[in-house]
Amino acid sequence: MREICLLEIAHGRSGDKGDTSNVCVFARKPEYYSIIEREVTPERLKEYFGEMVKGEITRYPLPALGGFNFVMRHALGGGATMSLRLDSLGKSMGSAVMRMKIQVKDGELD
Amino acid sequence: MKKIAIGGGQGFWGDSPDAAIHMIRNADIQYMGCDYLAELTMSIMARQQKKDPAKGFAPDFLTRILKEAGREAWQKHIRICTNAGGMNVEGCASSIRDWAEAEGMKGYRIGYVLGDNLSDQLPKLLRDGWTFPNLDGEGDFREIRDQIYNVNAYIGHEGVEGCLQQGADVVVTGRVADSALFLAPLKHEFGWAADDWDHLARGIMAGHLLECGGQGSGGNYMYDWRSVPRMEELGFPIAELTEDTMEITKAPDCGGLVCEQSCKEQFLYEVLDPSNYLTPDVNVDLSEAEIRQVGENRVRVSKIRGKKRPDTLKLCIGYHRGYRTVGMLSFAWPEAYEKAKYCGEIIMKRMKRLGMRAEDVHISYIGLNSLHLDVADMSETALHSLNECVLRIAVFSTDPAECAKIIPEISPMQLNGPPGASFFGGRSHVQEVIALWPTVVPRDAVKVESRILTV
Repeated sequence: MREICLLEIAHGRSGDKGDTSNVCVFARKPEYYSIIEREVTPERLKEYFGEMVKGEITRYPLPALGGFNFVMRHALGGGATMSLRLDSLGKSMGSAVMRMKIQVKDGELD
Repeated sequence: MKKIAIGGGQGFWGDSPDAAIHMIRNADIQYMGCDYLAELTMSIMARQQKKDPAKGFAPDFLTRILKEAGREAWQKHIRICTNAGGMNVEGCASSIRDWAEAEGMKGYRIGYVLGDNLSDQLPKLLRDGWTFPNLDGEGDFREIRDQIYNVNAYIGHEGVEGCLQQGADVVVTGRVADSALFLAPLKHEFGWAADDWDHLARGIMAGHLLECGGQGSGGNYMYDWRSVPRMEELGFPIAELTEDTMEITKAPDCGGLVCEQSCKEQFLYEVLDPSNYLTPDVNVDLSEAEIRQVGENRVRVSKIRGKKRPDTLKLCIGYHRGYRTVGMLSFAWPEAYEKAKYCGEIIMKRMKRLGMRAEDVHISYIGLNSLHLDVADMSETALHSLNECVLRIAVFSTDPAECAKIIPEISPMQLNGPPGASFFGGRSHVQEVIALWPTVVPRDAVKVESRILTV
């Protein structure tokens, strides 16, 4: 087993709707889909973000596109208009997800 | 086989007009959609209009796109649909008419769509017992009733299609859903029925992939940003549809990239449940959709399904919430973060002594954790090697005088605080905070009208 950043095997983008942030996460290769499925669960993500994401996190699988959509409620400090954060629209929530550490088995990325 | 090409000319109010102009001049398109409205834009426009009734729309559509290439678009029969009208659709439309008249564009037809602005209907809806429930589950609408800037429904394609049917060369709207600006011409051309959900869903997703401009053709591209050619002249995406296919490409001779990965990143942008992506026109199901490269800068998007449209329309209500001010001060190596943090503590002690009453204070450090917040790398190694760091203190209060208290407290820290501080950008200001009340309204409360001005 070794630890890597999710970014090594995935890419995506974040968007905002009010105080909700969505981050899509696509496998960089088709075989990485199952690693993301195993490692990036809503529970793990919720634990990872801690106080930063106050609401529920839902994961929607999209196997035909080789990825997942994560929807995080109360994730932007009140949303575009209310938030005191520098990144009130959560443009960098995508890269914040991508720096999460995940475990991969030996040979799994070969 | 009939093929219609439509381009995305603008991703937001303030976007570069270059790609739209290039597309008009160089691409074989019949339509262009230009999106100017984000969630908060209508409230900003409402506030501008309150100060000056002639304002309240995005003048850039005329000044930066039509004045440059509007005549050429007209001569080439490229029809443009835009929501640049914002809160003042008629003002926007008449400014376009004045320009076209001055240009001698005899016969130019400006369509405009009314009906999204529900401010006048609000009292009646309340009397009828509609409660405007907050979809985020918070608050009572009656408490914000007197602080409202704007009440606009996200309306669908109907009004735009109505204008196109009357021969409009350009269509100006207010809060029409972004993607409906693109669905309208496609439905108009292919003659899809109002309940042909699969086709409507495909048209909506063409719009979805185009409505953010460059973000659909290599901008904000996480997969491999270095691989995007000629970003300094980034082309915006173009959708080509036939009766049953959809391909995304871009104009010839421009920068940018259209590939599976760039298309996927935009496909789910601001989508919540992919099996139920709600729009005013159709409930879109993306759960089985496929995206495949079929040529250079060309992908095919397929298997988009549609379901019956929702019975209610999303409502965009902007209201006065309070005030905010942001103060910043930069610090240099060594110990840039430690000094910035200490300085923040000093300022907050002073604010306490000055009796500042703030409902919320947010402190972060630009260059370290202001973007990734709690998940930023705050390890000893990261902190030790920091060349510089900017203290950022943001304050929210319902009282502007409370926010203002912190403004003169930042710059003195250059001389009175930890070493290596430099103040930049001038004193900050108190800004109004407008909040959004997310809710829905019954469809029959909205009466959409399509009107035409002819030059």
